Amino acid sequence: MNEPILKIKNVKKIYNGRTILDIESLNFQKRKIYAIVGPNGSGKTTLLNILNLLERPNKGQIFLNGQEISNKSNVDILGIRRRMTLVNQDPFLFHSTVYDNIAYGLKIRAISSTEQLIRVKNALEMVGLSNFEKRRVDQLSGGEAQRVVIARALVIEPEILFLDEPTANIDQKYIDIVERIIKRVQKEIKTTVIFTTHDLSQAYRLADKVISLLDGKIIKQVQDNLLWGEIVEEDSSKWFNIGENIKFAVVTEKVGPAHISIDPRDIILSYEQFQSSARNSFLGKIIKIIEQNHLVKLEIDISIPLVVIITRESFFKMNFTLGSEVYLTFKASAVRLF
Amino acid sequence: MGFVIEGIEKAFQLILTLDKEIFIIVLLSLKVSLTAIFLSSLLGVYLGFLMAVKNFWGKNFIIATTNTLLALPTVVVGLIIYSLISRKGPLGVFGLLFTPSAMIIGQFILATPIIIALTHSAIQGIDKRVRSTTLTLGATESQSAWMVIKEARYAVLAAIITGFGRVIAEVGAAMMLGGNIKGSTRTMTTAIALETSKGEFGFGIALGIILLTIAFSINILLHYFQSKKVGN
Repeated sequence: MNEPILKIKNVKKIYNGRTILDIESLNFQKRKIYAIVGPNGSGKTTLLNILNLLERPNKGQIFLNGQEISNKSNVDILGIRRRMTLVNQDPFLFHSTVYDNIAYGLKIRAISSTEQLIRVKNALEMVGLSNFEKRRVDQLSGGEAQRVVIARALVIEPEILFLDEPTANIDQKYIDIVERIIKRVQKEIKTTVIFTTHDLSQAYRLADKVISLLDGKIIKQVQDNLLWGEIVEEDSSKWFNIGENIKFAVVTEKVGPAHISIDPRDIILSYEQFQSSARNSFLGKIIKIIEQNHLVKLEIDISIPLVVIITRESFFKMNFTLGSEVYLTFKASAVRLF
Repeated sequence: MGFVIEGIEKAFQLILTLDKEIFIIVLLSLKVSLTAIFLSSLLGVYLGFLMAVKNFWGKNFIIATTNTLLALPTVVVGLIIYSLISRKGPLGVFGLLFTPSAMIIGQFILATPIIIALTHSAIQGIDKRVRSTTLTLGATESQSAWMVIKEARYAVLAAIITGFGRVIAEVGAAMMLGGNIKGSTRTMTTAIALETSKGEFGFGIALGIILLTIAFSINILLHYFQSKKVGN
């Protein structure tokens, strides 16, 4: 494997005595797209800020192209910071024109105005906003503003582009556009893209690799219920067929081979099958119990293993033990396809 | 009332014929106040910015002092500077008393606290994301600071104009430090005071009208910048 463009080792970030990020090792390869997923407060934004050198970790090392950058002084860091950029979750546009906003990163790098003109034009073309140069930012829609912010980052031609929840605050119709831009950026500018998202299916759609964070730690949770199979139509409803005689009711328009994931928190456990609107219910046996802080992760065999995460409280209340036979219940809409 | 009407008639006559003496007084007033405001802006915007973005020891004390100085009586400034620059004072050797420079110093001291305080609140009102955005785009600390000030540009300009409004109209410090010497340190306000006491109402009213016009224009400008205020 090539030398990773970005590498972190034993990084810890502590706020007010609470560890909010604790990562042993994480590598990012050149020209790949990475998605960081996890619930609110899992440390996604902190991780991005640390990688982008906006925040310093309390402990640990960061390497860019094999060279340690976490021990550099603020002055030395400027040159390194200029090789990457971050688009915030709630981005800010300077009160001026679209052109002034996009050209800002070039101006502060003392790039000639003729080159600025060309690069701003290209960046706008890349995000599908050609001829928007003279618009004032207060005349832009939310989706347009988001794309201007991305263009402002792209125009710098960063080696690494960080995007914090790039589609969190925009309308559904713009999400597709932003996703297409991300793909295009990686292909055409050959930038490494690292983005955070809530949307697991988006993560798998776009990224070469998905990194899951929970309570500041990298977990394998997402891969656990990641299954490969085929969507089939029977009795005029859609099913996801994994083989082993197991079919999940799913909500989708398409048929054919697909990946699915089921959030381990979306599965309800019970000793008896109960009447509910959820269309998926399976009997299984608990084969593994792992305690994680205030949560308990269970592996349950329903002829394939499924991971379920419940709170410590419910775990003790239900008195689950290894070998317990339980029903797993989850809604068809809890099955995410990508 | 006759003398007032007579005075107003005389005043318009003086203004419309572009009376040379009036012209010299107005020009000197503008020169002194604009110089003072230019210097005040350099220091005031810088300090106001620092106070808004940095935490340092004694910051609260400086804020309280600045706010107190906003209401500084002009004659007190006159008194303090006078005692410093008079022949017997510690800065007496420079021979500054009764020169335009002395007036500039006095007005500088009057305007700076206003510019600091208003810049401080203007910068505080600016979205915190301006700084983080510039840094992620690769700005140095000073490039980032400049962008923050640019985002606050209308409010900062309003601060400078408010400072100018205060010094162009003040009479106490100008009188005590300039000495109201004809052709050298006679400004609009000191001339009005003198001419009125001499009974030369026409001359006084003419200068009064010009001063009011300047004050009115300043306020129109101020209103314009305040309505354009960006940020938040």
